[in-house]
Amino acid sequence: MSLKFGILGLLAEQPLHAYSVKARFQDLLGGSWEVNIGQVYTTLQRLERDGLVEPAEPRGDRGRLPYRLTEVGRKALDAWLAEPESEPQQLREEIYLKLLLAARLADGDLPALLARQRRVYLQRLKDLAVSEETARSQGRDDLALLYQGAILHTEADLKWVDAYAQATKTGRGKR
Amino acid sequence: MTALVELATVSKTYDGAGGPPALDEVSLDIEGGEFTAIMGPSGSGKSTLLNLIAGIDRPSGGRVQVADEDLGRLSEARLARFRRARLGFVFQFFNLLGNLTVLENVILPAQLQGSRPAAARARAMDLLARLDIAELADHYPAHLSGGQQQRVAIARALINRPVLLLADEPTGALDTHSGGQVMELIRELNREGQTVLLVTHDAKLATRHAGRVVTLIDGRVHDDTRLEAAGRVPETLVKVRIQEEQR
Repeated sequence: MSLKFGILGLLAEQPLHAYSVKARFQDLLGGSWEVNIGQVYTTLQRLERDGLVEPAEPRGDRGRLPYRLTEVGRKALDAWLAEPESEPQQLREEIYLKLLLAARLADGDLPALLARQRRVYLQRLKDLAVSEETARSQGRDDLALLYQGAILHTEADLKWVDAYAQATKTGRGKR
Repeated sequence: MTALVELATVSKTYDGAGGPPALDEVSLDIEGGEFTAIMGPSGSGKSTLLNLIAGIDRPSGGRVQVADEDLGRLSEARLARFRRARLGFVFQFFNLLGNLTVLENVILPAQLQGSRPAAARARAMDLLARLDIAELADHYPAHLSGGQQQRVAIARALINRPVLLLADEPTGALDTHSGGQVMELIRELNREGQTVLLVTHDAKLATRHAGRVVTLIDGRVHDDTRLEAAGRVPETLVKVRIQEEQR
């Protein structure tokens, strides 16, 4: 997820200083993020250097300096919003590696690994469904949609371990 | 102490099908008070399992015991009586009788059971009030929304105080909102002690409401998982990774 365009998007609503950017980002994503204030500072500096944002007030204390979007920044944001996301699919979860190796190693207990993984996905599905409901009851329909996305991914993961179990039972998963 | 539902190496083969069995030596115990979901893709044996537990169908092999009754040993007449007296059914398409009012639909199983009319009527009105549809008692099903019809079906299922409530895709014909309300209702009944068996192909629905999820694949129990009740807090659940542009 791009911090650069996240910041541009927040600044498009109103001028903000670095700490407000961090707080609003956190609120936007319902606490499901991982970024520190240092990253926000350096990204803001880079955006200023490239002419996408500018100080909204005369330069003073670094932490209190509000930034606003420039004309160029607005155009870059609009172009980014209009562009479909086409990053490569990330298959970097540990489980992929575990399954690939377990299938190769003679003593890798594949069915047990798949069963344990399946239980993790089932529990995750329940937890996500609860989170989705909670977000909705708090009037955060946008956040509920984020959880809905995570739910759909988990459902796919579940189908995938079942397909894996089916295929390896009939010998198709071996190589 | 035996379980409320006991399946011991139950198989079901349909005559003339010639293919693999619909159920293949399934063993499963369900305790009183549990909320169990039977999950699986279509053709996995879910409906067959439900029909065997409901006494609608008989096993080709093995033993199906519900509330201390060995269903395979009951005559058709006693099986029908057992179903009416001990089980409650909720279906995807409600299955209400169109020429009877809501109240008459709910009372019918009690009448067939030989309950006193006044008592049956009082209990039916209690249930309708409980399900928030008392004002619909004199309406006909055709004038009700899907969610309301399913509430009527739940009231009907509960009229004879069943030991087991069987729900087969109960939200399948409902929109998300009414479906959610119906499931919340079923979950509340379970919290009050009602044993529930939910059959669904929907993993989210199953995990959201049931404490136990049994997955069937190709007529066998593929997995049997008990879930923790409390959902974890969102912060530990979804992690958005922020990409820092290096330029």
